[in-house]
Amino acid sequence: MKLMAQYVKRHRWMFLTALLFLTIETMADLLQPTLMSLIVDNGVKEADVGQILYYGLIMFLIALAGAFGAVMRNIFASRTSQLIGKEMRADLFKKVQTLSLENIDRLQPASIITRITNDVTQIQDFINGCMRIMVKAPITCIGAILLIIIQTPRQIPVMAVILIAAFILIGSNMKLGYPLFGVMQEKLDQLNNVSREFLASIRVVKAFNAESQEEEKFEAASRNLGQATASAMKVMAVFSPLINLSVNFGIIVLLWMSRSQDSVQIGRLMASVNYMTQILFSMGMISNILNTAVRAIASAGRISQVLEETPAQKKAARPVCPQWRGEISFSDVSFSYAGAGKEALSHVDFLAKPGETIGIIGPTGSGKTTLVNLVPRFYDASGGSVKIDGVDVTGISEEELRRAVAIVPQKALLFTGTILENLRWGRKDADEGEIRRAAAIACAASLVSQMKDGYDTLLGQGGVNLSGGQKQRLSLARALVRRPRILILDDCTSALDAGTEALVLEGLRRELKGVTVLLISQRISTVARTDRILCLEKGRVQGFGSHEELMEVCPAYRAIYHSQIGGKQHG
Amino acid sequence: MANSNMTPPSTRVSGGFRVGIRQPGVKPKDLRGTLFRLWKLTKGSRKGLGWLLLFSALASASAILSPLLIGQAVTGVDEKRPVTLLLVFLLGLYIGDWLVRFLQQFIMAFVGQRMIHHIRTALFSGMKKLPLAFFDRHQHGELMSRLTNDVDNISTTISNSLTQILTYLFTILGIFSIMLRLSFLLTLLSLVGVGLIFLLTRVVTAQTRKLFSDQQQVLGRLNGQIEETISGEHVVKAFGQENQMIDQFEESNDALCRIATRALIWSGYLMPITNVINNLSYVLISIVSGILAVRGYISIGMISSFLLYVRQFSRPFLEIANIYNNFQTAVAGAERILDIMDEEPEPADLPDALPLASPRGDIRLEGVVFGYDPARPILKGVSFNIPAGTRVAIVGATGAGKTTIINLLTRFYDVNQGRILLDGHDLREYRMEDLRRSFGVVLQDTALFAESIRENISYGRENTSLEEIQAAARMAGADDFIQRLPQGYDTVLTQGGQELSQGERQLLTIARAVLTDAPILILDEATSSVDTVTEQRIREAMLTITAGRTSLIIAHRLTTIKDSDVIILLEDGQIAEQGSHEELMALGGRYAKLYKTQSGGVK
Repeated sequence: MKLMAQYVKRHRWMFLTALLFLTIETMADLLQPTLMSLIVDNGVKEADVGQILYYGLIMFLIALAGAFGAVMRNIFASRTSQLIGKEMRADLFKKVQTLSLENIDRLQPASIITRITNDVTQIQDFINGCMRIMVKAPITCIGAILLIIIQTPRQIPVMAVILIAAFILIGSNMKLGYPLFGVMQEKLDQLNNVSREFLASIRVVKAFNAESQEEEKFEAASRNLGQATASAMKVMAVFSPLINLSVNFGIIVLLWMSRSQDSVQIGRLMASVNYMTQILFSMGMISNILNTAVRAIASAGRISQVLEETPAQKKAARPVCPQWRGEISFSDVSFSYAGAGKEALSHVDFLAKPGETIGIIGPTGSGKTTLVNLVPRFYDASGGSVKIDGVDVTGISEEELRRAVAIVPQKALLFTGTILENLRWGRKDADEGEIRRAAAIACAASLVSQMKDGYDTLLGQGGVNLSGGQKQRLSLARALVRRPRILILDDCTSALDAGTEALVLEGLRRELKGVTVLLISQRISTVARTDRILCLEKGRVQGFGSHEELMEVCPAYRAIYHSQIGGKQHG
Repeated sequence: MANSNMTPPSTRVSGGFRVGIRQPGVKPKDLRGTLFRLWKLTKGSRKGLGWLLLFSALASASAILSPLLIGQAVTGVDEKRPVTLLLVFLLGLYIGDWLVRFLQQFIMAFVGQRMIHHIRTALFSGMKKLPLAFFDRHQHGELMSRLTNDVDNISTTISNSLTQILTYLFTILGIFSIMLRLSFLLTLLSLVGVGLIFLLTRVVTAQTRKLFSDQQQVLGRLNGQIEETISGEHVVKAFGQENQMIDQFEESNDALCRIATRALIWSGYLMPITNVINNLSYVLISIVSGILAVRGYISIGMISSFLLYVRQFSRPFLEIANIYNNFQTAVAGAERILDIMDEEPEPADLPDALPLASPRGDIRLEGVVFGYDPARPILKGVSFNIPAGTRVAIVGATGAGKTTIINLLTRFYDVNQGRILLDGHDLREYRMEDLRRSFGVVLQDTALFAESIRENISYGRENTSLEEIQAAARMAGADDFIQRLPQGYDTVLTQGGQELSQGERQLLTIARAVLTDAPILILDEATSSVDTVTEQRIREAMLTITAGRTSLIIAHRLTTIKDSDVIILLEDGQIAEQGSHEELMALGGRYAKLYKTQSGGVK
């Protein structure tokens, strides 16, 4: 609620203008029955056609004014709600760009996406609806009540009783309905989860003949949602006809009371009945909007959660610029992921000299990726320090740091756009020659030339139209275009066949003179060719040195060696 | 709410209340045919629907009769006649109306939800029978919205539309005949207004239809950008592309805002215009009726009745136009659902399909040709023979067709040419369920479910004891890490396994395959993400598990598979070399070269 108020406040003038026009619109609607009564009482009863024409003209003019109000209200309301939606989306999107990966992991990307797309729309619709209905209903209600009082003052006590009854009914409806709509939303999420899981695991489902098991799960979730929805609707079914009935009672009482009165003016009586109908209509709207309100409030909560997130990493207050010779030092570095109990890295110490290629090997979960992620500050060490050329990475400006450090992630990810655009991610002003050279080193040149449009080939979202190996080569080329001082290769050749991999690594060795390289690999044959090897296990350094040295002194490394190359197994 | 097309359907819940003009519907392709098939889907809810229609008809009674009664009461009061009886009637009518509405909504809650549930489960069970090709072809998000929203949308719209249209039709007919009885002239006058409204509605919707479809397109682009950026955030950050992504986003976001505002404004013209025309005809009628009353042709009570009717007369017309639009959208949605139900399911078992209780595990491929797109074959005539109990490995570069062979063996896809035999019979001769039961598979993607580890390992099997599960986990080398989890085997993977490392997930899926105790084991890159030490452990486990079984292993790392009985080297959809590790090394061909590059340079 607070969130919505905040955005509405930014556009309060537009919002208020919309409300102003809404008031004009509503007033015009409200005046119609009164004018009607004037036509009847002053014109028809007095047999005065002039009066009828006179009031008829006024009535028409007011209707025009009302229409004008409605059109203007709609223009302002649409502008305001769309602007608010746009700003909310933009704020969320920008906010996410400033967050650290740690925050994003915690919030889960899929959930963030839903918040930006779905939840914002939910709120936008609600705010728009507010400017149409929520405000109109009370204005109509109050106006109609006032006019009834003016028209037929003697009915006040009766009207009061009836209206109070109606309000109590609406109140209880909301009170009982609110939690039920919440439950409904929950069950819907559950149903979505079941279907998501089914679709994502379809191969396994089929391979294990588990179709009926999945169907049972789905059926149960669907039934639960149905039941939750039905019970929310049942509350509505009880209350909304009751609200109707209470106002209808009002009409009867109104007529009944007038029966015994002498100078009842027929026009006024009609107007009052008319107003009762209007009250009825607006009350129906209030109670019906409940569902939307519940969802908008829930959405606002989810959006606030993202907006209130503070980046897990702090920006360097006074950024220092290292010399970029490329020396990387880890001293006593420990790290654990948020929410995970055990440390992913503990007390890691090593130093990579400028221009050196360091191979990193170790079992799954030993912390290899975690270790390299600390260099471009995807995450910050929880203990110890990571330094580049003697400057702590937390002291370097993020932009500068990431310009100098290029990473080729495990999972190659490309973006919608042409191949050229994707490669230019590395460096905006890279000329075509540089791009071709980078592609050649990454063994991507031939694959690009095989494509119909070459470098202008359009890639789908996430590079869907490429195979894993093709994506990896382009992803590598993209990093090379960057001309980094430090290059991190996170097991990025896993989808390449051994021949291509060897070619790629050979090219890198030849071209990357003076660049410090951290090379993660599962294959001992790959790391064995690096200058020095860091062997990790369970987040701890088991050994650091050349292949020969590690074979001598590091049992963990030897174990990996024997598992891959074969030979006699040592203790 | 208006603009409901902006609401991505995934959050739509039935029973929602929407006001205003909805997106003018996408035109259904075959309205009548679709309606007929939808009708067939309502089986089981028809009795309820019947009741619903009955109550809807009754609900219109109050709308038709109450203005008449009120008018007469007003006249009665004016002429100082006793009106008690009239009021009692009115009271009775209102109480009846209350009861009818209550019952209508109550039935609606049940019937509507039952219908949704029925259609949804029908859709799901249709979907689950579809071949894998279908799921590979469609985006999951899209299918999900079919399952939740489209179903929801059509059921609510149809049950709502059906009842509302009925109510409104009755109302129109009722009011029209009463109005005619009250005054022919005034009725004609009010028809002019209704006609005008209809005309203008057409003009406006023609405009908005275009705008809304543009809006949909921009929205799709924007959502695509959001999804791409946020799910690839680490790369965006690594290359410092945050600002560029923001620029791109803002461009689409602005465009969306512009076009959505225009669409909303245009669709917003409808109501005020209608209102003015309504009021105009109201004024016109009151002037004419006033003159008539002055001349003494009609009574004041009649005027009041008539005017109450006039106010009620145009609304049902508008609503029907609106409902018709919604209805078209819903029918178009229904067509999307029916399209899925019409998809060719996995081929049914032959009438004389062979049962396959315990196959020996003789596999033979004969001239297999297959391509996901038949025009571009991936396997170009592959033949080989795996005698029961043999350990076979398939190696080759990415795209050589290794995984495709497995897709064909498990009959995720069927061959285009040639055939695959199991124990001497074509795979297609067996019962699908039996066939799949004879394979224990570990696939590239480690699909785990948001259930306990125990349930995940025993996936697809009922009545498995914890001991069996543990034994399987131990064999797969997963027992160690499971024991270390806080709740051990009962630990619930709330995030569908995301909380485990890739290697751990893989071990779980291996345990799952082990537990099936199937005669044929298939491991598709099962160890690609496992470190080599763990891999070594799995390999040892595999030696035990595969003893006496036919096994088929796909691997990149040649060291993993070198103790297989037969190694098949695939190249470009054809078998390049075949033999044991030693034989192939002795051959000194491509395999030997590959092997050397992989372990080369290391002493």
